[in-house]
Amino acid sequence: MNYAQVNYSMVRRLILKDWYLNRWLILGSIPAGLAALAIILTGKLIALLISIILLCMVIIGVGAQLATVTTVNERKEQTLAFMMSLPLSWREYTAAKILANLIIFLIPWLIISAGALGVLWLPGATHGLIPFTAIMAVEMLVTTCLIIAAGLITESQAGTTVAILCSSLGINILGFVFAHLRGISAYMWGQQVHWSPTALIVLLAEFAMVPLLLGLTFFIQSRKTDFL
Amino acid sequence: MSEVCVRFQGVSKKYPHFLLDNISLELPEGSILGFIGANGAGKSTTIRILMGLVRQDKGAVQVLGHSMPAEQVAAKQKIGFVSEDMRLYGAATLAWHMSFVASIYPDWNQAYADALLRRFDLKPQQKIKGLSHGQRVKAALLLALAHQPRLLVLDEPTTGLDPVARREVLAELMAVLADERRTILFSSHNTLDVEQISDRIAFIDRGRIIAFDEKEDLLDRWRRLRLVLPPSAVLPQLPGIVEVGGSDRLPVLTTSQFDPAVLSLCKDRGATVQAVDSMTLEEIFVANVQSRRELQPA
Repeated sequence: MNYAQVNYSMVRRLILKDWYLNRWLILGSIPAGLAALAIILTGKLIALLISIILLCMVIIGVGAQLATVTTVNERKEQTLAFMMSLPLSWREYTAAKILANLIIFLIPWLIISAGALGVLWLPGATHGLIPFTAIMAVEMLVTTCLIIAAGLITESQAGTTVAILCSSLGINILGFVFAHLRGISAYMWGQQVHWSPTALIVLLAEFAMVPLLLGLTFFIQSRKTDFL
Repeated sequence: MSEVCVRFQGVSKKYPHFLLDNISLELPEGSILGFIGANGAGKSTTIRILMGLVRQDKGAVQVLGHSMPAEQVAAKQKIGFVSEDMRLYGAATLAWHMSFVASIYPDWNQAYADALLRRFDLKPQQKIKGLSHGQRVKAALLLALAHQPRLLVLDEPTTGLDPVARREVLAELMAVLADERRTILFSSHNTLDVEQISDRIAFIDRGRIIAFDEKEDLLDRWRRLRLVLPPSAVLPQLPGIVEVGGSDRLPVLTTSQFDPAVLSLCKDRGATVQAVDSMTLEEIFVANVQSRRELQPA
């Protein structure tokens, strides 16, 4: 096989391997996220705030833990030597790590985000919050991609921890900034869903960051020559 | 003539505080190379280059006909690798690891894997984190052997094992040697283990290969001569002397080029040969390293 080629069957096996090793983390996060959502149903403002905090903790926590376990720990716990003794290239390993993290994270992320949007869609809920909630949900996907990139490129606990801290801080700052953009804030507390051009641009920019971050990670990793 | 399984030609790799310098060696198919060096001598770096995990700065590496690291995927299909610093996934069972590895290698032999499970007294349903160090090494060896590799690369596999586990691992390696086409590279700083199973020996020190020979030739050529010198006689100039110990009257010479003719040479110069001692691989290794370090201080 040519060095530059990617064996997709091997990549699939590696993704399934990471799923198998992290399945309880993911399966455990879904009821935790849904329980956090259920708090909103009490209808009180304080419950909404607690629920938002808990949801952020669950989603960011899952993404950070997944990236740490699948990338940093693989080197720290010396399972990387076992993996790289198998007939696979570094490109296949990197592709599998990026896809595994993304796909596995998408499972709780999709369920919890859909749940949050579903709760806001219920009669009597503040429907105007839906665009802002969608923006923040995608923001959490972007920050997880940033943590995955840091974990894979630095392969260090310190580098990943810095990315986690920056992500947590970034979500709060960006959440504050987005909530105060005129095109978003003007409709946020209304009863109608309004997808303003501002909200759509922010959302598209966030979506564009996902392939950009992960593609850049793959490019940088593909150029490495020493793996152990 | 058998094919060359591993070929290093002028391979170098520079790190900030270490240089693997101009390594050249050839390993014919079916041979068992004992790769001996102190900690930090360059054994693991050499092995990582062989496996395609580290790219050499200079030189060429061919493994099973494949150029490394470019063709590492094809080469690693036929390589079994066990390293002292390699770990399996603690949260998964040995059965899961077997199934995972079996799905990757078309030549996986389940009957052989089951036989190894019994021989090593391993329970497939046990999680790796519940295994002792010896059991983990045996589990890694099982995974490396059961896909029937043509080249087995073992980087310090017996380090940290208790005597019973070490004996079991070495016994299995001896059994593996029955396959004459299988080539083994066995790295260790434990010369006893290497001496038991190898037919070729390479010594590495400070990133350089300082000896590479057939084991029997090496053991035959190295001797320690205990002489008695009369007061008037001077120490005879013998070939290959690497170390002179003892006293002026009772010198002990270590030679790397022993030949029975050396004995008559000693007698001719007035010395009495009191004893000619064989040397263990460890003694040869230590004498070799020390003499070279004296000639080329760090």
